[in-house]
Amino acid sequence: MAAKKGKRMLLVAIAGVLLLSVMAGCSSNGGSGKKVTLRMIESLTSPGRTTVLKEMISKFETANPNITVELISPPFDQADNKIKTILGAKQDLDVLEVRDLTVSEFANNDYLEPLNDYVKDWPDYATEVDVAKSVATLNDKLYFITNGMYQRQMFYRKDWFQELGIEPPKNYEEMVAAAVKLTDPSKNRFGFSFRGGAGANSVPDTIILNANFDRIDHEDSMFLTDGKTMYSTPEAKKAVDLYVKLYKEGSPKDSINWGYQEQVQAFTSGVTGILLQDPDAIPALMEKMDVSTIGTAPMPKGPSGKAFTATGGGGWGITKYSKHKDEAFKLISFLSSPEQNTYFAQKTALIPIHSTASNDPFFQTDLYKSLLEMSSKPDEFVNLKANTKYPGTGQWGQVAMETGQSMLLGQVSVEDTLKKWDQFWADQRANLK
Amino acid sequence: MKDDHPSIIGRFQAGFRNSPRGFIFFSLLPTLILVLAFTYYPFLRGIVMAFQNYQLFDLTNVRFIGLDNFKNIFNDPKFKHAAVNSAYWVFISLILQFTIGLTVALMLSKRFRGRGIFQGFVFYSWALSGFLIGLIWKWMFNSQIGVINDLLLRTGIIQERIGFLSDPNWAMTSVIIANVWYGIAFFAIMLLAALQSVPSELYEAGSMDGASGARKLFNITMPYIMPTVITTTLLRAIWIFNDPSIIYGLTNGGPAGSTHILSSLMLDKIMYGGDYGAASAIGIVMIGILLLYTIFYLSVTRSAKMGDF
Repeated sequence: MAAKKGKRMLLVAIAGVLLLSVMAGCSSNGGSGKKVTLRMIESLTSPGRTTVLKEMISKFETANPNITVELISPPFDQADNKIKTILGAKQDLDVLEVRDLTVSEFANNDYLEPLNDYVKDWPDYATEVDVAKSVATLNDKLYFITNGMYQRQMFYRKDWFQELGIEPPKNYEEMVAAAVKLTDPSKNRFGFSFRGGAGANSVPDTIILNANFDRIDHEDSMFLTDGKTMYSTPEAKKAVDLYVKLYKEGSPKDSINWGYQEQVQAFTSGVTGILLQDPDAIPALMEKMDVSTIGTAPMPKGPSGKAFTATGGGGWGITKYSKHKDEAFKLISFLSSPEQNTYFAQKTALIPIHSTASNDPFFQTDLYKSLLEMSSKPDEFVNLKANTKYPGTGQWGQVAMETGQSMLLGQVSVEDTLKKWDQFWADQRANLK
Repeated sequence: MKDDHPSIIGRFQAGFRNSPRGFIFFSLLPTLILVLAFTYYPFLRGIVMAFQNYQLFDLTNVRFIGLDNFKNIFNDPKFKHAAVNSAYWVFISLILQFTIGLTVALMLSKRFRGRGIFQGFVFYSWALSGFLIGLIWKWMFNSQIGVINDLLLRTGIIQERIGFLSDPNWAMTSVIIANVWYGIAFFAIMLLAALQSVPSELYEAGSMDGASGARKLFNITMPYIMPTVITTTLLRAIWIFNDPSIIYGLTNGGPAGSTHILSSLMLDKIMYGGDYGAASAIGIVMIGILLLYTIFYLSVTRSAKMGDF
């Protein structure tokens, strides 16, 4: 009898669980309330930034009581892969952070909703600067509203330069010479905060770009106007020789593995004297260093006396399969308003997207001055649209890092490395649909 | 009385009474579904992907390409290098982890004051994630601001800073050191448990026959704990071979791919190349290697000695 009773209890329990799951299924499908939950994911995550973002979102929720926002904040290193996985599996997602590096891949896979029709009715779009729009545009389609831009400038140790009686470098030749001069391994002091690990391609790419200044195709910046890649010229060889010298004679040996963290840490802890970085490094510099020892200067120029500046950025986009696109854009337009965006840019040390923000006293301080100087001389510092239309853009960092490390270790010659780089981009262009 | 009630439940019950197989199947169903969905489906999908052109950045062009993924990886010098590295990585890590782990276990099996606290310290590393251990050692090995170089310089052991992670001659040694540190605790825990099950009468008898400490170790202790030794080394070798987390956190395979093992190379293909096809092909090669290894190991050590785990 007891056994029978036990069996019956089990069956009742199973039936109960089944019933509950059926009910749960019904309620989520047939919900009739007007409350909408938006799922949103960020990519350039950091604890400080997430706090600011949550603060802004809660303001939005207060103003729009029928919309709730569920923010997903994966760690920065894994964020883009997480986003790709979610998009690939078509999991619930309405708003996502798209970056200049990922926009082509996402658009190529048809994951993103173009926003051109949405911004027509958005008054704040008028004050958004052109660069911010162009970062987010691909083939005339606007895929995200930029939330902040970054652009590199030179940070240097004012006191070290004064000690040696040298001026802040104006071009790459001068920068390498200064780095070599500053280097004194016996004092554990080196010229340049080199980055040979993740993100290594940025410096050699920029030197090569500037070495070929007059021949670069502005619409397709890895290529020359004659259709060859920029890695194929004799100027590229000279530029890379200079880059190798910078590592061998002006940087710590260890830096062949360094990424962003180590590079900034070496500068803040007094190991290196020159750092080329985006403004998002500023908070760390201000926190760990005596600000009077930090100087800033515009990015070094190429042999032509001019420099390309690449403005990068990320922003908020909407998934093509979102069921709440209008609410999603409402959230994006709130976060992108001049007031919210300027606040966000200040807190995260990025360049704001609205032209009205540059009057803000915050962006007039020493650490931001060189950035403004660069943008005020558009003939000397020519803005070049980041080339993101190729699917291999994301992969390039890894390819350039590995082949670059082999070259810096002397395992492969400069010529052979340049041939590989040339081949990579020539293939990209040939395979572009 | 309730039993005569012709309810749905009653009918279910009657059905199951007539067919116990049905009930067994019904009970197993949830587990079956989970195992099929999360173990076998991904496994089979991975095998299929190994024969496909499956690139994350271009999912509109997924197609079967035969053995091309395998041809590509076998022609890739990085793959060969990673395979050789894997052998070093498993062999050296395992020997050092086992020897040091056994020594620690033998030391901990004697009673002394503060043994509990000491045990806690020894086992601590096992509680950390491999990725975190990679990050911690990355900063310790840093040649400019790392603590290891600093200590070696201050004590006068070295005159010049060593690029533990940037010098290809050092990098593999450095990642193995971190891995050894991580794995000692596992052997210490497992072997200590086995040691505590050795009956003390055996040692008493040994002492009466005049056996020395070393003699007791090799003639009493080791034979007694042999099943545990076999199982733990077998398992640990597979885990070491499969686990990319320490290398991923420490060097990410660098500099110039010199510290890649097969599992970190596979991860690299996915994380940076988005090439699931090539990664799956590497995965299949790894399964093959592990299968051969297990057959070899079990036949050499005779599976009859295996303990239950």
